[in-house]
Amino acid sequence: MESVEEEVKEAKEKFIRVSLRDGHFFGSLTHSFPQLFFLPGRSSGLWRVCSLALLLVIFAFSPKLFAQANPQSGKPLEGAKVQEVATPLSHDLSGVWMQYRDGDVPGTPGMNGVNEHYRPPLTSWGQAQFDSAHALQGNKAIAGKEDNSALRCEPSGPPQVLILPNPWEIVQVPGRVLMFFEEQHIWREIWTDGRALPKDSDPSWLGYSVGHWEGDTFVVETVGFNDKEWVDLYGNPRTPTTHLTERYRRLNHDTLEQQIIIEDPRVYTKPWVSPPKLHKLEPGWELAEWFCVLDENKDYDQAVRKPAGVAPASGK
Amino acid sequence: MRHPLLFSIGVFAAALACSPILFSQSSQPKGTKEEPAAAAASPSQKKGLSHDLSGVWMQYDDGTAPGFARMNGVDDRTRPPLTPWGQEKFDAAKPLMGPRAVGGQEDSAALHCDPSGPPQLLILPNPCEIVQIPGRTFMFFEEYHIWRTVWTDGRPLPKDADPSWLGTSVGHWEGDTFVVETVGFNDKVWADLSGNPRSEQMHLTERYRRLNHDTLEQQIIIDDPKSYTKTWVSPPKLHKLEPKWEIAEWFCASSELQTYDKDVRKPSGGASTEPGK
Repeated sequence: MESVEEEVKEAKEKFIRVSLRDGHFFGSLTHSFPQLFFLPGRSSGLWRVCSLALLLVIFAFSPKLFAQANPQSGKPLEGAKVQEVATPLSHDLSGVWMQYRDGDVPGTPGMNGVNEHYRPPLTSWGQAQFDSAHALQGNKAIAGKEDNSALRCEPSGPPQVLILPNPWEIVQVPGRVLMFFEEQHIWREIWTDGRALPKDSDPSWLGYSVGHWEGDTFVVETVGFNDKEWVDLYGNPRTPTTHLTERYRRLNHDTLEQQIIIEDPRVYTKPWVSPPKLHKLEPGWELAEWFCVLDENKDYDQAVRKPAGVAPASGK
Repeated sequence: MRHPLLFSIGVFAAALACSPILFSQSSQPKGTKEEPAAAAASPSQKKGLSHDLSGVWMQYDDGTAPGFARMNGVDDRTRPPLTPWGQEKFDAAKPLMGPRAVGGQEDSAALHCDPSGPPQLLILPNPCEIVQIPGRTFMFFEEYHIWRTVWTDGRPLPKDADPSWLGTSVGHWEGDTFVVETVGFNDKVWADLSGNPRSEQMHLTERYRRLNHDTLEQQIIIDDPKSYTKTWVSPPKLHKLEPKWEIAEWFCASSELQTYDKDVRKPSGGASTEPGK
């Protein structure tokens, strides 16, 4: 696991470097992001204590006020205090989220939550699986030969369902975090009641998920997948030995960071650590009903998905 | 696949909040003629128990409908006469099971792994979980792994909803009864498994009442003037709380369907009526 942590750190730093260089990563965050780290500038000690206390109260009860506060100048708080005030906000992930279209993967706007640029070398078995997959889109796609399971309206599961550019909702109830995806009307549950990952679960589309908090990060671990779909849209395999980790962190009221880490020694020679991907809160949205229906699928393919080899308009 | 820990928290919370034990104790008046529990309980106690529908529910196997053991939440025997349009649809339907089934000619939407929806979804003999959060009640069905939202935030039914598999649902409480109303259905799935139609005009009402801690009463009322000459009121159907169950993953996957049909559903005409697992 040590190597995973290093990889995460490395990928994150690299991603942020690249993103800052390209100037799009924090583009939509620049107004609110600094508020996590700065408070209005007054140097008096008493004022600082009072304002901190006041802010604690505000933070505890009003995420909106928090988000609206817009200090012109400020002074960084010590890490511990930032942690303290940020906690009530960050452990609430509920709401409808939609990924930002950062278009990092050419030809696939907004679907790089599992990022091929960071894929470690495949094992020989993994390579054989990958070579035999006929993707629906991307460089490997060959029109007329696509065999993505979505074409047969088969269910989608993590991590593929996580990277599709469609709205999804998080609902937190005691002992569970529920995720709802507009894509295929899928829902999944993540157990947060302290249970362990099953040692020997039947292979399934969604796998079996448990979650826990590490500071302000909600860590979801999933095992027990079947191998009937890929981890992405390009044919990278998912198998019953896949161990998926998702890390969620609410950077501010409107922004959720999601990072996807795939471990499967049967397929990938190292953990596949994709850079974090940002999702935007959409408070006015409700998930629509979208089922994949075989009878309707052909029309949909023709009208929306377009033949393979052409970058699709990505759903809705 | 069902784990004993499922509702430990929910059930425990429910036990604390509603305390059926306290409730039943309070309903035993000392030395007086026994009154119904509900009458003896204070309004808040009554509300506490009856307004919590959360848990995994499984319908009782009452087997009162011949050939459709356990699937009589929409009961053929109380069906009003069909309209000409309804009769036409009904005659054209080739159900998967029951007396009208003809081997090799079945055309149930389930055979194509099409989604199911209310009321058919409600009558299938599979576990259903209810989760209540502010403004919404969720229903999770093991069948097809379908979830459905019932809005309880006071919004009205939509006047002009796009036809959909699940429709749009709103719910409200009438005393101790949770009333769910749904409109905006498509006509691609039947109201039941016998081929009784549902049209885009269907207005579905479901009435849920928790009779006691372990028992949920469900009544399905179909108003569909395009299909039926009168309102179709089925008798209430009882569901049992299964505190230790968890909803398993069951998707209808076309690649698995043929095997499933062969192994589990059995060819039609046999009316073996065990579409379950």
